[in-house]
Amino acid sequence: MEQFPSEQNDKSAILNNVVGPQTSQLTVGELDIEILPVIYDIIRCVEKNPVDNAAKQRESQECSQKILELQKRFDSARSQIRQLPGIDYNKEEQLQKLEQLKSQLMLKQKLIKKYKNKPF
Amino acid sequence: MSFHLSTKERLLLLIDDIEIIAKQLIENAMTPKHLRVPAVETTALVDLLVSKDEEFRSMLQLAAEQEKIEQKMNAYRAQVEIQDREINQLQKQLKEAEQILSTALFQARQKLNSIARANKRPVSSEELIKYAHRISASNAICAPLTWMQGDLRRPYPTDIEMRVGFLGKSDLNANGHSVTQPNNTNDIHRSTGEVPAASQNQFAWQLGELHMMGGSGSSVSLDTRAHKEASQDDVEVMSTDSSSSSSSDSQ
Repeated sequence: MEQFPSEQNDKSAILNNVVGPQTSQLTVGELDIEILPVIYDIIRCVEKNPVDNAAKQRESQECSQKILELQKRFDSARSQIRQLPGIDYNKEEQLQKLEQLKSQLMLKQKLIKKYKNKPF
Repeated sequence: MSFHLSTKERLLLLIDDIEIIAKQLIENAMTPKHLRVPAVETTALVDLLVSKDEEFRSMLQLAAEQEKIEQKMNAYRAQVEIQDREINQLQKQLKEAEQILSTALFQARQKLNSIARANKRPVSSEELIKYAHRISASNAICAPLTWMQGDLRRPYPTDIEMRVGFLGKSDLNANGHSVTQPNNTNDIHRSTGEVPAASQNQFAWQLGELHMMGGSGSSVSLDTRAHKEASQDDVEVMSTDSSSSSSSDSQ
């Protein structure tokens, strides 16, 4: 094993590389997607239908602002979902890929073990 | 819902659906009361919106599960990467070993070949020593240790010997001269009985040089004498060298 003096360092470097990009990604727990309350607010705002003109004007402005906010929420929801890790496949495909990785790892470990135990 | 789509695509589709339903609901709410769609339809829309939202939430749970699986996969990927590196390292070492071994094999084959050749035509060491003694007995390859200028024993192969040798023959043939050998081979192996012709020539040439240099004046002749001694040493060394090299050629 004296040929691999920096093996430990390599391992940590690889782990950092693999885990590193994940920090820029979002997790499901960090998502902030609330749409229904905004829709409810907008409908309530429209349904109010005040009598005097000034209040009507104010309500209308408020309403359009809320619609803009709803649009923003939709956009932000889309961008947040795009940042989620591990959802590029459906679950079945993902599990299949996990199994592939597992078997690949086992095979490689077996190969190395076989080679190292081989008497020359 | 089509299940061949990825979870991300399904989530985005759900958001699109919710957006469309919300738009319809808001548009409906904004239209005057007498133009609105029936309340049943509005209720159905609201129900659909709620069900879509529930579906979205459940899909997010699935995304959370997949996130955990992804973490596992990342760990596996890192492990695989480590194994890959190790395999690459081993492969490199294997290649190096192969190269070293192939070089060693090549050299060993060469040695085996030369051993086989030596076994095919064995030469006894006694015979070799005898032969060496024979060619050195007549001072043909090296001057005697005590040889001095004027010594009758020759320090190098004579002209006759050179002419008889392979080089001399080839030279004559190349120039188109007829091959004439004035002496027979017995002359070559003679001992110090007579002064060799080449040796005399050498003397004559040196004397001639002395004469030429001496002709310029007495003071110069003194220097010339000193020079003569030095040049004699040079000649000695040169002649000894040439004797060894040329004799080996003529053999």
